[in-house]
Amino acid sequence: MRDVAIIGVGAHPSGRFLEKPLKALAHPAIWDALTDAGVKPTDLQVAYVGNSLGGLLTGQEGVRGQVVLQHSGITGIPIINVENACASAATALRGAWLEVASGVADVALAVGVEKMNVGDSARTIAALAADSELDLAEMGLSFTTSYAIHPKINLKARMKEYGWTARDLAKPAVKNSQNGSLNPLAQHRRPLSIEEIVQSRIIVDPLTLLMCSSISDGAAAAVVCSLDQAARFTSKAPVRIASCVLRSGEYRLPDDRRPDSATAAAFTAYEQAGIGPEDLDAVELHDAMAPAELMLYERLGLCAAGEGPKLIDDKITTLGGRLPVNPSGGLCSRGHPVGATGLLQICELVWQMRGEAGPRQIEPVPKTAMAQNQGGLLLGQDSAAYAATILMR
Amino acid sequence: MVNVQASQNFRVTLEPGQSPCLLGSRCRECSTVVFPKMPVCPACRRNGTMEEAEIGRTGKLYSHVIAHVAPQGFAAPLFQVFVELPEGPRVFALVGSECPVGPGVLEDGMAMRLVIEPVSTARPDTLAYKYVPLDQSERNS
Repeated sequence: MRDVAIIGVGAHPSGRFLEKPLKALAHPAIWDALTDAGVKPTDLQVAYVGNSLGGLLTGQEGVRGQVVLQHSGITGIPIINVENACASAATALRGAWLEVASGVADVALAVGVEKMNVGDSARTIAALAADSELDLAEMGLSFTTSYAIHPKINLKARMKEYGWTARDLAKPAVKNSQNGSLNPLAQHRRPLSIEEIVQSRIIVDPLTLLMCSSISDGAAAAVVCSLDQAARFTSKAPVRIASCVLRSGEYRLPDDRRPDSATAAAFTAYEQAGIGPEDLDAVELHDAMAPAELMLYERLGLCAAGEGPKLIDDKITTLGGRLPVNPSGGLCSRGHPVGATGLLQICELVWQMRGEAGPRQIEPVPKTAMAQNQGGLLLGQDSAAYAATILMR
Repeated sequence: MVNVQASQNFRVTLEPGQSPCLLGSRCRECSTVVFPKMPVCPACRRNGTMEEAEIGRTGKLYSHVIAHVAPQGFAAPLFQVFVELPEGPRVFALVGSECPVGPGVLEDGMAMRLVIEPVSTARPDTLAYKYVPLDQSERNS
């Protein structure tokens, strides 16, 4: 396998862009990535396009990747449509990485794009629920309920077990809204107080409105290239993909003692990169509901069980801390256009690792960072897809 | 219209004295029970060892929540729960309409009983499996 670098990234702001179809959302992200990389459309040898909800919400089936890329002047190459729930974009990146790592291609493009605002939020929420196995979706299991009581996360039980309070659950949203307020691409840019988060409308106890990511349109793209050829295109320092891990969930019974699947993905990524969690300088993780960040701290090996809120209290994961988490604002503030999220995380980490993150720049500039992305829900009690990508410079 | 996919997950037994059940699979090699039915055992990964199993007539409430925002086709507030079956699996379920929705009505760990009824008032023709507190259903019958 060859070393692979990300040499260009680009993103469309996340938010409500009712008038823009998928291809219009993707276009600026793609061309910002190409321009950033110094790559022409004709330099690309293969492209992976991640999207989750476009079939149900726009009606465009089957060829969304080709439609989106033709609009941006990218034709005549293998284009692979990727659909993997909220992990679609991380999965697209893995495809592009694998093409280059294997030596099949020298330059590849990964795109993630999502259009969730279609003028009918009930339709959008129903489409999202369909990223769960149909038996669950048809009984009305939403992702909010899943985070609240599903055995794999069960925030209500964690509150009892760990003594977490509603204020603890709100802490990631406070921190991430501060980060998001510094991000011009973020959907929500107002810093939130712990009180207003706790007192906002209850969606599913214990989750309040301001703890939940919202309906969002957006897109992100990355150009990947074999490390030894990066200098052909750009003088910017390449950011190496040290590992790029994807796994599906497991069928779990209550007595299952295997490691959590997010843990398994992350620790495989650490091992393949030759590092441990203590070597990370920055993390973007999948806080679709803000309190999930507290659970993911422990599942990614960043703290012991139950100590998630302490990482925020002790300012370890804030922007000025030893290990900033979700410097972009995360899913709740930056936005969660689901099929774009995994690459929005990658964009943020690349900007951070190049020292290009402006007012939210992490100091010292991170050398090692991880993006963690997951999606979907199966009857077997796990999410459908778990991704972990480690970047190094 | 009957929802074929969902109705394969349970059996409504009309014989007197019989109660409805969920339909899962039991592995005749390693005894693992799963829900819904599967042709391959997820524990020992053998193919062709799974046999239909009638399960879930009762269960224990594992976790529950009141959803204040209704999914499409449902009315809020509604209970959404996970029930741990004595045969092994934990299943996501709704709560039967005979059980009023409110705080303090359900308690994790309480014994539950399976009922089959329309998934929601908006979809009277689609049957779904739901659970109600065991005591309450006995009181009402």
